[in-house]
Amino acid sequence: MAEGEENLMVVIVDCNPVWWGRRQQQQAEPSQIVLSHCLDAIQVFVNSYLMLSHRNRVAVIASHTSKTHFLYPKNVPDPRLDQRRGEDGRYEQFATVDDTVVEEIKHLMTSDTTNSELKTDTLLAGSLAVALCYIHRLEKEYQAGQQLNSRVLVIKAAEDSPSQYMNLMNVIFTAQKQNVVIDACILDKESGLLQQASDITGGVYLKIPQMSGLLQYLLWVFLPDLSMREVMALPPKVQVDYRAACFCHRTLIDVGYVCSVCLSIFCSFSPICSTCETAFKLAKPPMFKSKKRKKSIQNGGPSTSLLQ
Amino acid sequence: MCRLETKMADEEVEKTYRWEGDYEKTWEVLQEDAAGSLQASVDDIIHRAKRRRLQDRQLNVRLGMMRHLFVVVDMSQSMEDQDLKPTRILVTLKLLENFIEEYFDQNPISQLGIITTKNKRAEKLTDLGGNPKRHITQLKTLANTSCVGEPSIMNSLDLAAQTLKHMPTHTSREVLIIMGSLTTCDPGDINITIKMVKDLNIRCSVIGLAAEVQVCKKLCSTTNGTYSIILEDTHFKDLLLEHCTPPPATVNTDSSLIKMGFPQHTVSQDHDSVKPSMCMCHQDTEAQSFTPSGYFCPQCHAKYCELPVECKICGLTLVSAPHLARSYHHFFPLENFREIPLEELDSELSRFCTGCQVQLKGPMVYCCTRCTRPFCIDCDLFIHETLHSCPGCINKRIGPNSS
Repeated sequence: MAEGEENLMVVIVDCNPVWWGRRQQQQAEPSQIVLSHCLDAIQVFVNSYLMLSHRNRVAVIASHTSKTHFLYPKNVPDPRLDQRRGEDGRYEQFATVDDTVVEEIKHLMTSDTTNSELKTDTLLAGSLAVALCYIHRLEKEYQAGQQLNSRVLVIKAAEDSPSQYMNLMNVIFTAQKQNVVIDACILDKESGLLQQASDITGGVYLKIPQMSGLLQYLLWVFLPDLSMREVMALPPKVQVDYRAACFCHRTLIDVGYVCSVCLSIFCSFSPICSTCETAFKLAKPPMFKSKKRKKSIQNGGPSTSLLQ
Repeated sequence: MCRLETKMADEEVEKTYRWEGDYEKTWEVLQEDAAGSLQASVDDIIHRAKRRRLQDRQLNVRLGMMRHLFVVVDMSQSMEDQDLKPTRILVTLKLLENFIEEYFDQNPISQLGIITTKNKRAEKLTDLGGNPKRHITQLKTLANTSCVGEPSIMNSLDLAAQTLKHMPTHTSREVLIIMGSLTTCDPGDINITIKMVKDLNIRCSVIGLAAEVQVCKKLCSTTNGTYSIILEDTHFKDLLLEHCTPPPATVNTDSSLIKMGFPQHTVSQDHDSVKPSMCMCHQDTEAQSFTPSGYFCPQCHAKYCELPVECKICGLTLVSAPHLARSYHHFFPLENFREIPLEELDSELSRFCTGCQVQLKGPMVYCCTRCTRPFCIDCDLFIHETLHSCPGCINKRIGPNSS
């Protein structure tokens, strides 16, 4: 790391209560992984990251079904935590991060009182948007000559939700423009959206084969800096399918027709666009000029003279 | 005396002459701060102009998404003037590089061409194309050429129209002229050229570096373009970047279904052996080499290294889904946030910015009209210019179409 460079890592933890609760019920053995094990692994990972260099900074965001909660750093420091910190022999910075994260997660889970209908998908796009705003604010605080390298690590549990496609694509393009790398660590089902995110921004995508080894995978793949990634043997890049899906059948197509007004994609030609209801101009067949036929009638055939 | 903003209203033509109107105390707008600097005032004017532009944007208007834009750079004697440091032409070239990158970022399926005008003639520097690197390398060579003579608007427009008239009717045809001179030297009647350009449905805009010129004003108002004069270099950058957003489509632009290909990045293999092949984009250049992987056109199987590209063999436009997705945010533009003083903020809402968690200091905070969450001024600019989605609305699951 060169002089004047600092690294920032934002960890986004998927705390979807529906997914974690369902998982706990489905597991037969009690030794399987629950949210608290996952958080333990993340705490050790964050401590290792902070230990690598004095200039490393970290932020932790919890992504829920109904809100996005900033776990660390907190806006208002809790005075009770300050008191407790001096008592045990832990390194002060680790103690701050660990205790704050634990307190905030407890606060998040117990204060969840949604009166409206329960949604099951995680607000990943919202958490990424908040992370990018935070990174943008920190970058502004640096003067010329000092640089902040930022990356976002998403630890995803629940499935993708297609309703967030637009927002997620906006966030991905913003991250690419701001030079922020998005890494993805998937716990359960493959996520096409995060595959695209890590491919476009140049990050690493990994689906963990065993949840019990979460900490090992985090330390192996996601701990080293961006500059070290060229010399490391990381999991191979996933071949992302960038083909478009047609709006009528949702099948992936190789050749399609794109409406010039609303950019919706169709697999076959139709005279009217179903999204924006514009009527398209159909290409007319070439007109054959019938001059020669007219001339032969005038010269050869019987002519009726108007002047009689 | 500099004009703060040039309006295209027709009422101005019918009003009285400027000296017959009331006093406009334009000097009172600029306030000096404690150190005697005007920078804060100018920043404020630019910021307010940006917000007003966002507000004036017409919603539910069809936009010209596939754009063919010609940029005409004035390389006459007046561009060597040093009122923009180091010289006007060097500042123009630097800002154009930023513009080209931003243009292809926001309009990935559009094309751009560059024309220069000097010595009463116009010359095409680069042809219409979709590869930003080619334009930028050619633009860099202009830094070494000298600026002489007078510009010719008529010749530049003729040259641009020659290429643009062959473009399909469903695309939006545009010309952007960067004029540093106050004169133009034309071989014929420019009104005929203006009429020709209007009939071809080409939208001409001008960014003036010196002062308002009647000919440019007439050109822009006839073709529905915008005419602006710069205040200083940050204002220049702002005005240029304004042209990156798609303009409203004209009545004459047709809408049609365009056939496009979506190739996948594949490795060409025959059972176990890999088949290397040459690509069409680096043909006849030194970078030509055999590679096993690339994008194969679905119609004619020609290989290309990068997308988006127009297939040279069968003419099919090859893109990938994210390229189209980049333009989707234009269809759902984010509304301006409501500006309220910090004291009037609803007491139930948190005193921290919803985006970056900074403590809101004021004097003004910006609240989203849909989700009512407050944001600081930096997040407001960031969200409207780059992110195009409100984090508060996403977290409250409020879509763009709901009221």
